Amino acid sequence: MIFNSEISGQQEHTTSPVVTGGSVIALVYNGGVLVGTDTLCSYGSMATFKNVQKIAQISKNTIYVSSGEFSDFQQVVRELAKIDRSALQYDDGVHPSPKDYGNYLARLSYKKRCKINPLYLQNVIAGFDNDKYLALVDIYGTYLESKFITTGFASYFCKAIISNYWNENCSLDQAKQVIRECFKVLFCRDCRAHDVIQLAYVDAQGTHIEEPERVETKWDFNGFKYRANEKLHTQ
Amino acid sequence: MNYTEILSPKFEPETTGTTIMAVIYDGGLIIGADSRTSSGQFVADRCADKIDYVHDRIFCLRSGSAADTQTIAKYVRYYVDAHAQELGRLPAVATAANLFRNFLYEYKDSLSAAIIVAGWDPYKGPQIFTLPLGGSVIEQKWSIGGSGSTFIWGFCDANYKENMTLQEARAFVLHAVAHAMYRDGSSGGIIRLLNVTKDKIEREFIDYKDVPVK
Repeated sequence: MIFNSEISGQQEHTTSPVVTGGSVIALVYNGGVLVGTDTLCSYGSMATFKNVQKIAQISKNTIYVSSGEFSDFQQVVRELAKIDRSALQYDDGVHPSPKDYGNYLARLSYKKRCKINPLYLQNVIAGFDNDKYLALVDIYGTYLESKFITTGFASYFCKAIISNYWNENCSLDQAKQVIRECFKVLFCRDCRAHDVIQLAYVDAQGTHIEEPERVETKWDFNGFKYRANEKLHTQ
Repeated sequence: MNYTEILSPKFEPETTGTTIMAVIYDGGLIIGADSRTSSGQFVADRCADKIDYVHDRIFCLRSGSAADTQTIAKYVRYYVDAHAQELGRLPAVATAANLFRNFLYEYKDSLSAAIIVAGWDPYKGPQIFTLPLGGSVIEQKWSIGGSGSTFIWGFCDANYKENMTLQEARAFVLHAVAHAMYRDGSSGGIIRLLNVTKDKIEREFIDYKDVPVK
């Protein structure tokens, strides 16, 4: 009872995040669904935790990632794990599908939104259950299935890159390259981004979470190196 | 005594404005903390012990409101004790971290508490879990916390190495905490160090005159 603030009577209303995770990008490709995040959790403006895995494997064929308050991300991972465990009690061999998780999360988010105590997250559920599944659940509980999803700053910078270089029938490698390009742009233009990213994909064989990798960004343009202010003001 | 004064918002709650640190080395971990408890501008306790006992090989470092963190630590100490009695062996550090996490997450709007849980267990060896304000849990090889930590991020990033020896780790923690105390008004006094290994706990008291940076 003490570990549930609703029951113990101290109803909380969280409206501002403390430790936050950055943008998430997810794309459908010809064999499954690919998601990418960076490995940074920020404490306000400080890049405090630099080696965090923000991709959670919820079941054999479902991945969950989110951007926003990190403690809420960890809480959702627990909540979704409960679903699989309670489904076991029916002992009928039926496991929740990726869509079941997406739907549950949407209902949970909406319930908390109605009590003005939201899970401060933009959630992405990716899975493969006979066919590819990708859905976004936002802070209010809005549920949207889509072929590509971006959260946070990526929504501003990366949609153009995705529109021009990706289509839903591309290969896994092509999709990975698109996500890497997107994170390069984010590292250049988003203060709360980090250049070490992590990719994960779900296909017919199951989920694969890769090791973190650093994206290459180019800084040695002539225009950057030789933009001396003294030239500006003396010529 | 005018009670309305104490209840008014001008009355500063007692906080552990502080510097706390834990570092894993090859064979165990070193914990360090300063000793100043402040009540606004007043030093309420100049020789506090911020390294709290949770279990025989599990300790927590508290920062934020002294009342909040002391109460939570008391509950977690009780829960871990009961759990260890039933278990019949040393509890996992992750268990203690999880119990702290439950408090910090569920009551995140009422609490001002950030905790570092550090200890040794027979299952995974030395571990450090950082629990910042919102109630997340992040495992790290070294962690700093409290108001004084802001002054030593650069120092720690530059001087931390993986797989240090006991001597190297002790010197790292001692100097880092000393540097933080040097610049942070809310940290000061003496430095307390604790070495946690499989076989023993070793406490060390660094007197003010022996603090390397003054």
